[in-house]
Amino acid sequence: MTQPLLCYQNVCKSYQQRQILNDVNLEIEPGMVVGLLGKNGAGKTTLLRSALGLLTPEQGNVYVFGEKSDQLSAQSKARIGYVAQQTFGYEGFKIADALALHRSFYPDWDCELENKWLKRFDLDPSAAINNLSIGQRQTLALIMAMAYRPQLLILDEPVASLDPIARREFMGDLFDLALDSDSGILFSSHITSDIERVASHIALIKDGELLIMDELDLIRDTVRKISFSDSGIDLSAYNVLNLQKNSAIIYGYTGDTIPGAIATNTLSLEQLFVELHG
Amino acid sequence: MLEFINVNPNSGDPIYKQLHEQIVRLIVGGQLATGDELPSVRKIADHFAVNPMTVSRAIGQLVDQGWLERRRGQATRVAQNIAQQSDQQEALLYKAIDQLIQQTKQLDVPQTTLVELIKKRWELEQ
Repeated sequence: MTQPLLCYQNVCKSYQQRQILNDVNLEIEPGMVVGLLGKNGAGKTTLLRSALGLLTPEQGNVYVFGEKSDQLSAQSKARIGYVAQQTFGYEGFKIADALALHRSFYPDWDCELENKWLKRFDLDPSAAINNLSIGQRQTLALIMAMAYRPQLLILDEPVASLDPIARREFMGDLFDLALDSDSGILFSSHITSDIERVASHIALIKDGELLIMDELDLIRDTVRKISFSDSGIDLSAYNVLNLQKNSAIIYGYTGDTIPGAIATNTLSLEQLFVELHG
Repeated sequence: MLEFINVNPNSGDPIYKQLHEQIVRLIVGGQLATGDELPSVRKIADHFAVNPMTVSRAIGQLVDQGWLERRRGQATRVAQNIAQQSDQQEALLYKAIDQLIQQTKQLDVPQTTLVELIKKRWELEQ
């Protein structure tokens, strides 16, 4: 088996006595596009930042390319791309100058790719960064994180301010990266329809715990909402993700009839997300 | 052919299933004929802005089930000798019919009324 690009082992982290991450185990392998889903405050950003060594877990380990994430070598750092939720500095720079400086940190920078993306997203290299819209800044941040074809790309809400056309273009770029360069991508987003299109895998985090991590198609095929009137219904054959008085969300459905179930329904990712927080 | 296909990420069905079902429909309905070439996986994925692995999964299943055939170094094509077209045509309606029956029962409308309604609406369509 190939070595995972990113590996979380029993990761725990808390802030001011509040548990943010609780025993998270997760592996990202080449070619995976993992969509990270969770409510605001569920621990997504903490999870992403701990992969970059920007914070250290109290328990457990995070490995990037086999190295501990808080002791990464310079070579390894040059193979990671990251776009934070809040866009970056470079205030007072022109786009071209900011790119020139940024480029100098990355030996594998692809100038052709940079130019292609600048043109495609209508960014004028002579424009001042101070005058850019939030969407334009986000686009520039993506170019800065992706123009050296990182082996591991970590994106925290990367597309929230992009228009639908730009989002589609950007998704195509993600696939090129994942499949042609064998990179791994971990990205958080609240736009479930985008995740549905783009992700090969889904990691769903709730109250700091990783509830599901699996192939998207497998999740969609085997997650069901079961409605019932008798709460004595036997669901022990399945992984019950959420149990309410008259309904349950189960994982691992095989197509068998469940005795006592009034209805068995498939769920879209958005429905699943909402139901799990019911 | 891509213009005949519609992908809806918010639907209850995963995207690979939507692609699978709609390509079967195009074949059974005759919009895709034996020997017709399909665009490459990458082209289909780009067109719908979906993960190429999802497209690959749908195409792989269609090949396994004999709807499509793939030869080394060539485009994927619609297979020959697709058996029992009329069976397939009918089977493709089951899902919609089942939904209709469920709704009819929910509204407490008797079966005979539903049959009459279908007949009436059918004639309006002509």
